Amino acid sequence: MLVEVRNLVKDYHMGDVTVNVLRGLDLGFAEGDFVALMGPSGSGKSTLMNILGCLDRPTSGQYYLRNQDVSRMSDDALSEVRCTYLGFIFQAYNLLPQYTVVENIELPLLYQGIRLDETTKARCIALAEMVGLGTRLDHRPLQLSGGQQQRVAIARSLVNDPQLILADEPTGNLDSITSEEIMTMLQQLNREGKTIIMVTHENDIAAWARRVVRLRDGRVESDERNDGAVFAAEVTG
Amino acid sequence: MNATSLEEQLPSYLILGVLAIVVVASLAVLARLGVRLLATTKIGRTFLLAVRSLWLHKLRASLSVLGIVIGTSAVIALMAFGSGSMQDALNDIKKQGATNIIVRSVKPTDDSATGGRTMVASYGLKFSDLDRFATFSDSFVRMVPMRVFPSEVRYLERLDTKGRLVATVPDYQLVNQIALAGGRFLTDEDERNLSNNCVLGAGVADKLFPFEEPLGKTVMIRQHRFLIVGVSADRMPTGGTGGSQAAEDYNHDVYIPFSTCRARIGETVFVRTSGSRSGEKVQLSQVTLTVDADFESKAGRHKVKALGDAIKDMLKEDHYKEDWAVTIPLDRLEQAERAEENFTRLLVLIASISLIVGGIGIMNIMLATVTERTREIGIRRALGAKRGDIITQFLVEAVVQTTVGGLMGVLLGVALVFGAPPIYVWIAGGNLPAVLTWEPIVLSLTVSIFVGVIFGLYPAWRAARLDPIEALRHT
Repeated sequence: MLVEVRNLVKDYHMGDVTVNVLRGLDLGFAEGDFVALMGPSGSGKSTLMNILGCLDRPTSGQYYLRNQDVSRMSDDALSEVRCTYLGFIFQAYNLLPQYTVVENIELPLLYQGIRLDETTKARCIALAEMVGLGTRLDHRPLQLSGGQQQRVAIARSLVNDPQLILADEPTGNLDSITSEEIMTMLQQLNREGKTIIMVTHENDIAAWARRVVRLRDGRVESDERNDGAVFAAEVTG
Repeated sequence: MNATSLEEQLPSYLILGVLAIVVVASLAVLARLGVRLLATTKIGRTFLLAVRSLWLHKLRASLSVLGIVIGTSAVIALMAFGSGSMQDALNDIKKQGATNIIVRSVKPTDDSATGGRTMVASYGLKFSDLDRFATFSDSFVRMVPMRVFPSEVRYLERLDTKGRLVATVPDYQLVNQIALAGGRFLTDEDERNLSNNCVLGAGVADKLFPFEEPLGKTVMIRQHRFLIVGVSADRMPTGGTGGSQAAEDYNHDVYIPFSTCRARIGETVFVRTSGSRSGEKVQLSQVTLTVDADFESKAGRHKVKALGDAIKDMLKEDHYKEDWAVTIPLDRLEQAERAEENFTRLLVLIASISLIVGGIGIMNIMLATVTERTREIGIRRALGAKRGDIITQFLVEAVVQTTVGGLMGVLLGVALVFGAPPIYVWIAGGNLPAVLTWEPIVLSLTVSIFVGVIFGLYPAWRAARLDPIEALRHT
């Protein structure tokens, strides 16, 4: 298992009130899987994503990433894990407005301590071309459409060659045609061997995934393989 | 320059040296790796980012560093003008001879000094004092006695009433640094032969010989003829800076050999002043002793003071009346130096205050920037930036601001130092001396960099402490 959580609990303390967001989750995601996390708001899917993304730590329980317990790691070690093994795609794209396309894609490498030379630049340009932005290398995010921005974000999430891509409602801000483009791209990445965990609350987006996990009140409600989905998407795509 | 003074100046040279090494080293590194370094390493990127985000908010950034700019330039300009005028005063004192001890005859205030009917005041230093001073001769380089009194100088029908007769020895020229416009100064031979030779001050020469060459002519002074052997160049009057030293105009001096004066004119001299006639019987008006010591060393200063004290004690013993005064220019030198030290301290204080005020401005802006860029911080954290990376980013931004502010302040300050004096002279006249030294430049630049670090630290820490999830949610 690439990702495994055991009895994962997360409580939030708001004054005297304690909110139990995650109440003992047990989940495993195999390498090469494409998982859609679904659930109504308040179900704990965002909290789970934050913990999986090493941005937050569980109150109790374990989180094994590559058979390594990351739930008790220090802040710096978690940063290290994020920039080495994880790629993020956000609903709001989260590009840096003052940077060009290439510079945005480069960013994770900067924090890996890698020298940003011609080789890395070539790699970033190749990624930009791969997502179809080869002609807009020097554009700034605000000069791009939402779909283009999300494609930059995808390129950025790939630059450190991560083992796990976490996508938090990647199509939430996009129209259906652009959404389809983005999902096609993610599916292609999954076929090439990337493990993807995606949060969504739209069934037709979840349909692109191989596996759908539904959460409710901090517990797993259902966990189904979605074998027809890939085929279905291929037909539509 | 001797060992001690070098030692005293060592700190500033050390700072300069270290700074030079740092600058040269960083320039060398930069030159070798060039812009590549900036573009490829994390710290280089951080630096570029800082410059870029400051450039994005040019007006805001320049307003926030204004305090630093003004503080730095004020320090440099004030320091330069302060040490300029201080240097002026110090040079004045050094011109008088910093190792000199000046012993003067002073007319006592009480009437008992005046000798009854004749109205002749008898007071002052005696030739015997001179002999006693000579017992210290090992410690002196030279001893210059002088007899000075007003005297008319006449050439044919032309008359200079402002003339002042100075009877002295050839060494006078060394002590007072007399420059000659023509001819020669008095010589030892003149002294031995009691010769009637004289050297005219520039003013007297102008008055008596407006169209002719004075050298070789004969002037009349107190019924005696003197052959002009030299004319001194125009000499600036010494400023009457100290309480005991009045401003003196040397241009109407006429120098004659000391021995000649003693033999031909004698001790008693009558002076006509505004209708009344007064006489005084004085053997010596002044004796200037130049101590064999280096005024820049502690030991040398001590020696001068000790000799001054010894001479005072000696005179106290032998003189019934307080008809003498001992002036040690070194005392004034030390006073001036102490004043300069205090002045520098005050400037450093003002500088610190203005730079702290500037730093608060920086901190204010940096805190606003952190709030404004919360989301960016969240993104960077998510992509793998450590807390340290975030701290560095904002710290570098603050330091770049204050350093640029400091550099602009230095430029402005230097421009003021060079630009202000002509304007000042044009408007107010006079002169505004300025001495530009390295210390205030290095000091204020270093301080502004430190201000960036100190006042950037808290905002940077606030930025790093942000929870990445919260920061990402921030709009």
